[in-house]
Amino acid sequence: MPRAKIHVGLEIGTSKVCMLVGEVKVDGSVKILGIGTAKSAGVRKGEISDYVKVRACVEDARRKAEESSDVQIGSVFLSITGNHLVGVNSTGTYRLPEREKQIHAGYLKEAEKIARGIHLTDEQVIVHQSPRLYRVDGFEHTAPPVGLFGKTIESDYHMVYGLGTRIQNSIKCVRELSMEVDDVVFAPIAAAQYALYRDEKESGVLLIDIGGGTTDYVLYLNGAIAASGCIALGGEHVTNDIHMITELQFTRAETLKIREGHASGESSHDVGGIKIPVDESGFTHQDVKRELLNAIIRERMLEILNLIKKRLPAGALERVGSGVILSGGSSAMRGLDQLVKEVFGLSVNLSTRLEISGVQANFQDPQYITCLGLIRYAQYLEIEKRRTSSPFTKFWPFGRKS
Amino acid sequence: MIEFPRETQHTIPTSHVKIIGLGGAGANMLDRVALDGLDGAEILALNADVRTLNGSVASERIQLGRNLTKGLGCGGDPELGKNVTLEAETEIRMSIKGRKIVFLCVGLGGGTGSGGAPMVCRIAREEDAFVVVFATMPFVFEGERRRQQAQTSLNELAVLSNALVVFDNNRMGELVVAKQGIHEAFQAGDKMIADSIKAVIRLVTRPGLIHVGLDELMTALRTTRSRCLFGSGVANGKDRAAKALANALASPLLDKGALLRETASLLVHICGGADLTLYEVELLMQKLTKQVPEKAHVLFGAAIDESMHDQLSITLISSLPEEKLQEKPQAPAVEEKPILEPTEGFGFDQEAAESVIAPLPEPMPVLSNFSFDIAPAVAATQEVAREEKPSASSLPEAVPAIPASKSAFADPIAPVEAVEPKIASPFAEPLAAAPTSALPADFTSLIPPKPATTLPAPKLAGSIPPPKNALPSSAPAAATPSPAAAAAAEIRQATPGRKPIFGAARAASTAPQDSPAEESTEAEASEARSTEESAVPAVSKMLEKTRAKHLQEELLLEKEQLGRFAGTDPTIEDGDNLDIPPFLRKKKK
Repeated sequence: MPRAKIHVGLEIGTSKVCMLVGEVKVDGSVKILGIGTAKSAGVRKGEISDYVKVRACVEDARRKAEESSDVQIGSVFLSITGNHLVGVNSTGTYRLPEREKQIHAGYLKEAEKIARGIHLTDEQVIVHQSPRLYRVDGFEHTAPPVGLFGKTIESDYHMVYGLGTRIQNSIKCVRELSMEVDDVVFAPIAAAQYALYRDEKESGVLLIDIGGGTTDYVLYLNGAIAASGCIALGGEHVTNDIHMITELQFTRAETLKIREGHASGESSHDVGGIKIPVDESGFTHQDVKRELLNAIIRERMLEILNLIKKRLPAGALERVGSGVILSGGSSAMRGLDQLVKEVFGLSVNLSTRLEISGVQANFQDPQYITCLGLIRYAQYLEIEKRRTSSPFTKFWPFGRKS
Repeated sequence: MIEFPRETQHTIPTSHVKIIGLGGAGANMLDRVALDGLDGAEILALNADVRTLNGSVASERIQLGRNLTKGLGCGGDPELGKNVTLEAETEIRMSIKGRKIVFLCVGLGGGTGSGGAPMVCRIAREEDAFVVVFATMPFVFEGERRRQQAQTSLNELAVLSNALVVFDNNRMGELVVAKQGIHEAFQAGDKMIADSIKAVIRLVTRPGLIHVGLDELMTALRTTRSRCLFGSGVANGKDRAAKALANALASPLLDKGALLRETASLLVHICGGADLTLYEVELLMQKLTKQVPEKAHVLFGAAIDESMHDQLSITLISSLPEEKLQEKPQAPAVEEKPILEPTEGFGFDQEAAESVIAPLPEPMPVLSNFSFDIAPAVAATQEVAREEKPSASSLPEAVPAIPASKSAFADPIAPVEAVEPKIASPFAEPLAAAPTSALPADFTSLIPPKPATTLPAPKLAGSIPPPKNALPSSAPAAATPSPAAAAAAEIRQATPGRKPIFGAARAASTAPQDSPAEESTEAEASEARSTEESAVPAVSKMLEKTRAKHLQEELLLEKEQLGRFAGTDPTIEDGDNLDIPPFLRKKKK
């Protein structure tokens, strides 16, 4: 019999490490038991660059999460990101043997195997593969066409692949803290599990997760992933731009970005300047013109969004029915929604869902979406497992936490 | 002086070399060789397909199977390939007759190539030629049949040929970026084969200072059923030795140098213009030896080729049994000790010598003599030193001190030329003498510690840095002679043996207030490092002054505004570095 399971999501981001403990109840609802976040160090553009520092950060986040949830964390779902991860669509076509008319699961497996045969170098591994569409003799099926009659099966898959060694390094980092990694999940795919409703996925939706070091995106069309990817540009780049052009210190540039920045490009926000007084850190008085600050931010954001737009498959944007959902820490940037609307020509929603019980107010922040999504991902995975597994494996304590 | 003319040409002239391209793939390789320019060597194209044959740029062409296929190809049938070759046997035999080396380029898997290659190979061997076969293996997607045909032919070639170099087409993908066109991939593949043919020809035909020939080549490629590891790199300009080596190791056939770690023997050939220095060769070999196992048999060759101008080329040839290729080495690479001990450190001596020569005109003739006639140089230097000492220094013990110190200074170079320690001694002598003559005040700081080193310094103790360190000491010591001398005296008492020189020199050179003990330990540490590395921190101030401008300019050129993303993996999109603020990039445009 299904029982309440505890899952832990871990996101090692460029700006913060976040560990979230969630309980999936028998009825399928999710309750957040605790959260641990730590300011990240040693992560560049979503990838670990300083191993020791990152380990300390994860350790810190884990301690906080364990304290707040009163759960001993034994294994986690790890979200990964980075420029090396690429999402592609691949089709596997399989023609049934002569006398055979009915499609059974083995043939679908065969088609999947063919679809998996994308050209990868030795270092690259497939992280995700999710079926998008099946075609039986040209007729589209969204569900696996097992048992149907036909001659040829075409399976469309969305594959995410990346450099195996880098993924292994992330896993190793977690393992060294005596935690197991249940699964690695590409960050935007995890975020989509939480941030997107089923009907949104059906009608087509683009999720953009603008984090500190990377911007991840995933596009859903007809209920399946049509594109996903990662651009190694994010909020940290905005801060760096401000730092380099205005010659403000990083800390000040960061504060200025958060407090004063506006990305919409409307001239009404460009009036006047910002005075930064002498503060306790000992930096001198500085003046920054709003026009300059906003232009710097806008240029960067515009570039990121245009890059995403360029990478989406042709004609996909016209088929998006539910607009763009923004998530990630940098999506809190003022005026970003207007800018996104300008670029994509779609309606924009900030992702704030209240479907999770626990201390609600804490999780409305868009920066926790990936972690929440990881819990959801774990839940789906479990359902999937239960459905496909034999009665014996039902008792296997998958996702044991306590 | 009687000049002994070096025998310039004791190798095979290029006219004794024949390059044969067999079949379609062979013709392509041949064209590449011919188009890239190869002086002298004769090129012969063999093909059954007349159309391809006519398209070839080869000077000599023989049509195979005039009666059997009547101008058509063999259609992938090796049996037919064999027969058409046998049909033209006399013609081929005539063409090969008298040639010392025959290179046979062939693409295996098809009809003419797979069937004909063993026949051509046999004919060439019967004509007493040394046969090197360059063969490509078909792609996996070409199917099992072709693979088998290629394999059968390869097995025959392995027995028949003197050396067999196999390129697997499946690795061709590594030569080019995935996005590039298929023609570019094939071009790159042909180019690599052409490069290796040329490198081998250059190797065996050009006269060498340190000659390598066919025998060495055979040793390097000795193992049967092996894959050839080949890398070739050319570079010019500053740091060309390192660049050329990096280029050579980047060859996909070497797997970025990783495959070299398994090799049993390696042939290295370095070729440069007239300005090829021993220092460069030494540096290059030092770097290379880190890539190969300690026990590997390194066959080293060097040649001067005027046509190279300011370029330096390095060619690496080795082979690895196929079974070793399967189980790729997983163990972390162990830092290999350089094998070529005899040449270690020599380059630095030279550099040091140059540095002394430049600012000081007086000891120059002595130094320049030294490298060629040892004995007079020793006498001369001693003379120079003695002449200078009384004039420069007021200290009476200076005279005996210098010869004593000689032994200490000689030792650094002793491991280099252990047999002739005298070589080193004059060398060190000017070093000590040079600053003396330039700055008399320095003597107070330099000489006191020297008597302490009269006991013969241990072999290991000596390394190149000491003389170098002595050099910089001159300038600051001149400014503050008395504290420096005091510091030096202190050290002499504190630590016996050789270290005082070192410590004193350093202490004097840096600042008098520095604790001598700390200095000497630091000196030890720096000594422990490789000579190459230690040379950098130990570069004299005089040298620094002359080089300073040059270095700074270079740094400025390379600097890019990246803020906190400096030094990270850049995010490149359409040639733009996205880490630079778009705000700035837009303005530039």
